[in-house]
Amino acid sequence: MKLIHKLIRTPEGIAGFVILAILIIISASASLIAPGDPLRIAGQALLAPFSDMNLPLGTDRLGRDVLAGIVHGARTSLFVGTAAALAAITLGLCVGLIAGLAGGLVDEILMRVVDAFQIVPGFLLALAFVSVMGASLPVVVIAIALGAWADPARLTRAQVRSIRERDYIAAARVIGMHPAEIAVRQILPQAVPPVLAVSATIVAAAILTEAALSFLGLGDPNTVTWGSMIAEGRNVLRSSPWLSIIPGIALVTTVIGVYLLSEGLAKALSGTHAALTPREGERS
Amino acid sequence: MSALHVSRRQMLQISSLLLASTALPTLAAAQNLPKGGRLVVAADSEPKNLNPAIVASNGVFFIASKVIEPLAEASFDGKDGLEPRLATSWESASDGLSITFKLREGVTWHDGKPFTSADVAYCALNVWKPLQNLGRIVFANLTAVDTPDDLTAIFRFSKPTPIQLIRNALPVVSSVLPKHLYEGTDIATNSANVKLVGTGPFTFAEHKPGEYYRLARNENYWGKDQPHLDEIIFRVLPDRAAAAAALEAEEIQLAAFSAVPLADLDRISKVPGLKVISRGYEALTYQLVVDINHRRKELADQKVRQAIAHAIDKQFVIDTIFLGYASASTGPVPKNASEFYDADVPSYAFDVERANALLDEAGYKRSGDGTRFELKLRPAPYFNETRQFGDYLRQALAAIGIDAQIVNADSAAHQKAVYTDHDFDLAVAPPVFRGDPAISTTILVQSGIPAGVPFSNQGGYSNPALDAIISKASETIDSSERTKLYNEFQKIVATDLPLINVAEWGFISVASERVLDIADNPRWAVSNWASTALQP
Repeated sequence: MKLIHKLIRTPEGIAGFVILAILIIISASASLIAPGDPLRIAGQALLAPFSDMNLPLGTDRLGRDVLAGIVHGARTSLFVGTAAALAAITLGLCVGLIAGLAGGLVDEILMRVVDAFQIVPGFLLALAFVSVMGASLPVVVIAIALGAWADPARLTRAQVRSIRERDYIAAARVIGMHPAEIAVRQILPQAVPPVLAVSATIVAAAILTEAALSFLGLGDPNTVTWGSMIAEGRNVLRSSPWLSIIPGIALVTTVIGVYLLSEGLAKALSGTHAALTPREGERS
Repeated sequence: MSALHVSRRQMLQISSLLLASTALPTLAAAQNLPKGGRLVVAADSEPKNLNPAIVASNGVFFIASKVIEPLAEASFDGKDGLEPRLATSWESASDGLSITFKLREGVTWHDGKPFTSADVAYCALNVWKPLQNLGRIVFANLTAVDTPDDLTAIFRFSKPTPIQLIRNALPVVSSVLPKHLYEGTDIATNSANVKLVGTGPFTFAEHKPGEYYRLARNENYWGKDQPHLDEIIFRVLPDRAAAAAALEAEEIQLAAFSAVPLADLDRISKVPGLKVISRGYEALTYQLVVDINHRRKELADQKVRQAIAHAIDKQFVIDTIFLGYASASTGPVPKNASEFYDADVPSYAFDVERANALLDEAGYKRSGDGTRFELKLRPAPYFNETRQFGDYLRQALAAIGIDAQIVNADSAAHQKAVYTDHDFDLAVAPPVFRGDPAISTTILVQSGIPAGVPFSNQGGYSNPALDAIISKASETIDSSERTKLYNEFQKIVATDLPLINVAEWGFISVASERVLDIADNPRWAVSNWASTALQP
């Protein structure tokens, strides 16, 4: 609660928070705004925006409602973005925690694996994964998470290695706390905030990667996504540019919203973090 | 000034239209056409092997047909739809066991050696029959080629072979290579496969990978006063959007094979100085087909297949997906193939109620959420239109309670899934009609084809009556008898619906109005362009 309070005190935080809140409301009520299958053919093909009030944003090459595509696409984008980021951060936290605590050979092995994932460009990895596994929503989520978990893993490990040397951890050991309990109850809460600060960037990157995959035709063809809408519109870019521009604006707005939130979050967290971490621990 | 310019252009347009639409031989037209000039053409791919005698495909012909010529070329108004090239006449013996070709006199190869019947005999036995994708079928029963003199080649067959099939296949299968460059070498890896030597109106000058192919005028071409152009440049432009922009910038003068996307044609037709031409692809008809996997119990029911046929609004497909540049199919033979086409077949009008009733009759009632059953739909990835039709078909099937899930894949994965693994229920395919049912559409319904043969019947459909007709037609030498068999074939396919033919389309060329005498035969884009000229 304190965090949210701090967050909305920063201008970036409040702007990002509002944008994302609106997007979440839109995607939650997508079935109310545009009921039925968003891919169904709703009217005449290539209707310009604002020319028919039943189809306010016009229609695409096959006569599908662009507004329906946008609101249902928001759902896909936000779902893929959050799910992929959640998966990446969870995996990153676990790997980082184990590596940081265990040290030695386990640390070495895990970090080399992290290296391997870091040197492969995330997008290429996702591309290869989806090509092999076939395009569907869960596969896309896993593909994006695969390219994004290495950064949080490194960050967590660095945090854990610094925290585990502190006096209160030694104290916890002395009073006979189980190592697992130390890891989960003493170290993890201190290691999470910096990872949370990068999480929003991971969400933004995940949304963009999903859009890029769909643009290349590797998204799930049975759900509408902004990337696939832009790709479809590209064929008629010269005559009907709005088909690419409208989902493009939606994509840009979402990513800016997430980015602003992440900025605000970083600011809010750095304050919280400074207040909670005893400086003395580092000096000793 | 501008008024004068326009009127001159219009005059040229009218005169070229007249030339293209009348039966005047090209020689008469030749005198009025300007000489010289360099034609720059958009090419969207660079085939690894440019030898049309081995790879009889449009991508290869597009470039190679100007250098290497067939025995005969397709024609709008020639006898049997053919125009002589390296052969001047062809006649079949009454028993169908031999065909005699008379060859053109005074033809020389680009390296100066004379062209003789030995070249034709060598190619038929060593290249067309054993190595070529289509020649394997057409010349399956060819046993020998006799060459009594330099200008006569007699093809001898072990079984009666219909002259109708040979005629229809000639433009595609009979590209003649120089025997003196291929004899005694490994044909598949011969350097002449990339540095072509032929008898055509243009010689192969150079290929800069990733940039262009350059063809130069053949000064010793046998055609009188031909060719008109000095040079043809095939500029490699893999990006489709780039072709339209290059045309507008006058960097290229011609984009064939629908290099300009259909959706852009309306806009580009209004650009001054450019014209949109849909002629010149009549013998290269693509068919939009829904392949059906008869191993699925629902789809093995004829009523279900009829219901799917009734659910497809062909007019919508033509107007919205093909933007009018296509026509509705009635059966497995396209209207362009007037020799075989039979309109008198069962038809399936767009009728959702009837489709729903047929499905109810077949016993597949709608469940609580309105669906009857689920299907896996694989649209072929080769064309925008096939993918869009996949999207449309999913919606059309949803209207009759069939939940089709689209599975997209790249070309290689799609071919493996459909034609080898049979991992599909419905697939959207764009097969080509090659002028004769025996070398195109029959393979889509014939049974007994091993798994892995691409673009063939891999849906597990088997109909002995249909198989009997196909094999009988392959040995019927009387042309009208053979045509009758194929009429029967069309009726059975349209009734039983082993697959659903939706539409058929050709390609579109966009050219500068300065390019003259184009689209003058039904395979124009892949013919020799000897009569094509460029207004300076």
